[in-house]
Amino acid sequence: MVVRYCRARLGRVSGQYHIADDVAQEVCIAVLSALPRYRDMGRPFASFVFGIASHKVADALRSSVRSAVPTQDLPDGPDDGPGPEETVVRYIEAEHARRLLSRLPDNQRELLILRVVSGLSAEETGNVLGMSPGAVRVAQHRALARLRAMAELESTA
Amino acid sequence: MTTVHPLRPARERGPDDGTCDGAAVAGTDALLEALSRREPVPTADPAIALLAALVDDVDQRRSSVSITPST
Repeated sequence: MVVRYCRARLGRVSGQYHIADDVAQEVCIAVLSALPRYRDMGRPFASFVFGIASHKVADALRSSVRSAVPTQDLPDGPDDGPGPEETVVRYIEAEHARRLLSRLPDNQRELLILRVVSGLSAEETGNVLGMSPGAVRVAQHRALARLRAMAELESTA
Repeated sequence: MTTVHPLRPARERGPDDGTCDGAAVAGTDALLEALSRREPVPTADPAIALLAALVDDVDQRRSSVSITPST
């Protein structure tokens, strides 16, 4: 869930997810480091984890690290992934989604990413964001409507 | 009793307007729940299509090793 969250927020660099995956790793390390100081305040543990993830992603966005990560050896092996055309189409669509999501209010963007990309239920999303499941369902409906309006506006422009 | 001014059209209420239709909210929740579970969803809705594309991209399992050679 943390990897998906970081990938959704940070996107690809040089066609790969290494920056997002590195940030996800940092989140896990930070969670482990913070565990001794963790106090159960009645909120779910996931809200603690995603709180850290949110800060780590914000740090990464601020530092705007956008450089390729050099490796010693070129990867050499069969590629069983989708072909170049499908990869490019998927990349463009995903970047389009990220661009529109970035224009949503922070709370709506966070909600949609947690709910859909990280795969949390309405109850779990509510636990992370401090909302009731009913409030999550209404808020996600509004967020989706706003996203739809932005997409339609772009398609007609 | 509610009255509507004859020259003023009834206020249209939308998703950003304070109230939401319960059936529409439930429909959206069902769609997002399906996306969340990685089940196929109809992509005629541009917002759902965008989210589906993002989910598909994020879930790809390819190696994230950079192909940039070291110098």
